[in-house]
Amino acid sequence: MSDQNKDKQMRVTNAVRAYQREWIADTRQRVSQGEPFAICNGDDCEEILNVMGIPVIVVNYWHAIISTKRMDQYYQSLLKERDYPASIFSMGLACTMDNNSETAPWGGLPKPSIIVGGARTDTEMRILELWAREYGCKFWPMEYSLWHGIEKAPPPGWFDRIRDHWDELVDPVKLDYRVADQEKLIRYLEVTTGRKCSMAKLKEAMELVNEQMEYWRKARDLIAKTSPCPVSLRDQLSMYQMMWHRGTPQGRDFLKAYYEEVKERVDNNVATCPNEKIRLMWINALGTPPRWAQWAEEKYGAVCVTHNYMGIAVDAYARTIKNNDPLRTLAARYMLLFWTTPDWIAAQARHSNCQAVVTAAGIGTKAAYEQAGIPMVSIPSERDDEATREAISNYIESLS
Amino acid sequence: MTVFDEFQKHYRQRDLSAQQWKESGGKVVGYFCDNVPEEFISAAGFFPLRLSGDPNGDTAKVGNYSEEGNVFSREGFVASMLHMLQNGRYDYIDYLIIPHARDSVHRLYPTLLRRKESHPAMNLPELFYLDNLHTSFFTAGVYNNKRWLQLKTQLEEWSGKPMGNDKLAQAIAISNESKSLLKKLAALRASDPPRVSGVEALTIIGTSMFMPKEEHNSLLKKYLTDAEQLPAKSGVRLFVEGSPLDHLQFYDIVESCGATIVAEDNCWGNRYSDVSINTNLDPTEAVMERYNNKSPCTRMYPLNRRVEYCLESALAAKPQGVIFNVFLFDEMQAWETPDEIKVLKENGIPSLYLKDQPYRIAEPEALKQRIAEFIQSI
Repeated sequence: MSDQNKDKQMRVTNAVRAYQREWIADTRQRVSQGEPFAICNGDDCEEILNVMGIPVIVVNYWHAIISTKRMDQYYQSLLKERDYPASIFSMGLACTMDNNSETAPWGGLPKPSIIVGGARTDTEMRILELWAREYGCKFWPMEYSLWHGIEKAPPPGWFDRIRDHWDELVDPVKLDYRVADQEKLIRYLEVTTGRKCSMAKLKEAMELVNEQMEYWRKARDLIAKTSPCPVSLRDQLSMYQMMWHRGTPQGRDFLKAYYEEVKERVDNNVATCPNEKIRLMWINALGTPPRWAQWAEEKYGAVCVTHNYMGIAVDAYARTIKNNDPLRTLAARYMLLFWTTPDWIAAQARHSNCQAVVTAAGIGTKAAYEQAGIPMVSIPSERDDEATREAISNYIESLS
Repeated sequence: MTVFDEFQKHYRQRDLSAQQWKESGGKVVGYFCDNVPEEFISAAGFFPLRLSGDPNGDTAKVGNYSEEGNVFSREGFVASMLHMLQNGRYDYIDYLIIPHARDSVHRLYPTLLRRKESHPAMNLPELFYLDNLHTSFFTAGVYNNKRWLQLKTQLEEWSGKPMGNDKLAQAIAISNESKSLLKKLAALRASDPPRVSGVEALTIIGTSMFMPKEEHNSLLKKYLTDAEQLPAKSGVRLFVEGSPLDHLQFYDIVESCGATIVAEDNCWGNRYSDVSINTNLDPTEAVMERYNNKSPCTRMYPLNRRVEYCLESALAAKPQGVIFNVFLFDEMQAWETPDEIKVLKENGIPSLYLKDQPYRIAEPEALKQRIAEFIQSI
């Protein structure tokens, strides 16, 4: 293999990391000078905050950073010591409770002016409320966020319709409420920060989102049809950091650069695992690569070539603005980004020529995936331990 | 048979009145949680039955019924109710209202909807999803009112006739009388010495959701007539905070350790009845106002409203200690518990925190020992 087609870390992912480091340093500097900073739950107002020039960090991104730095066990212990339930969603709160810039990823976050979050689960609002109390900042509850459309079953193939026909999938009464909630938040931010929002800026942001996701689609499709896989899952997932700069020129430009570099890799026959024999799809909640990936590649040539986050990027974010109303279109997307249905996961897996999906216990059932036409390998946890390896080995060895 | 025996009979045979109602040609509307306006159901001419679980029932297969292929962790009482619905224990229910309550409850809607589609022979009731919000802001009230009215319209459709104000006013009067009587019961528990045990109180409060309210009111009036002459209850005065308790096992254990539970904060206990309906308003407005402003359950924002409610309820009952009984997977309660323990401690009230408790207590002896040690320490 020539040096040209060795799998090195992508230039663009290094650039993304550098950008993120600069972004947090710059944000810290701006906050120290009195500028506002926000924390919000994923898909709960990032575009609005970005349009208003308020730097925002998304809760699930921060949790992924904590997990990647292997601080999750420590923070879970800290919560348990204080008699709180330890969950993935409470890691940021635990980091703030710990108040230790020596050990916190990035040295911890700057103090936010506001934390925004909704009632998508029983505990989300409560955890964010406690987090804001710990910081001594404002908590802004949003009533309707993701997954409040439980009255209707997801129609089969919803992922092919959601971009253009989102209005058929979201409850209009709840949507009215969500739009009003957003208007109130915008007004509050305008009053307290002096920053401005406008429909024109929101429209521009949504068009940038659509462009960004189109580049993602093109890159994903190239990776899907190329074997051996030209881009490691680690690098693919690294690009997800740019999801939190949605609706900005930087967000769009990084994805354009990503697509161009993926194409270059395909043209140069770069392979992340030249010995690729089996292609797998990895599913987890945090968007982190599997800890057992290297073992599976070396032992079986089994490569995780895609992840559910890739499908989210490609299928879930783009929206056609209806009635020239970007605020309502955006509200609908905040309320319904996707449903994790087996038919959607199976469609993604098949698109990437995967033989199976791998996921930790509790996310879906084997029967549901089999019904959707893709085998599911259920592993007991996300740890790279004997039990996990045994479950994966059992599946792979059953193929021969 | 004493009056209390009659309550016990209905607590044990929770379907007794509903089945009799069915036999006489009536229809039964089941509902979850205490945030469904049962007054609307009564006024529409139906029997309102709050669903409860069975700690001795088999819940092992519930995971197989989970929605969209995903298995959710459910508190034992929710898993139990789901199982009972699917194994025919509630097959006499005609309609079922599922509110936007805790996640595990409101997710029952898609679960049961799909189950109905895939297993039409299962005889599941017709479903109605009652949305409502998790804050008590003015705007949330405006939104919720639209949803309460949707429920009213649905009940009118089911009954085939409009719900007259006279019927609703009558249902409100009966409901208010029930709440007033249950408050008198609460006062007897909180008195010094208490005249009613926690087990007795939970039985009486629970049966008000399983029996016709008028009949329950009549029994309760008889029970209360001479209640002040009831033998005084002895033991350490305890307040119970925590997960919804739809059975007596935990109270039995606590009170067998030499304590009397003088009050509690959960929706099967005093919290069910502590806010009445304002009869000065239009009946429909009054019901909506009451359900928008009833005492907060754990899913409600903000936290301080919950903590204040816990503290006020505890202080009113003058307990010597508080036991937090929090079920496995009841994370909502678990997230507020540290704040509640802290504020109780600041008010000189010690607490015992029992976390991750099973719905059915399989090993009562170990639990008894912990509780006995706590009682001794007071």
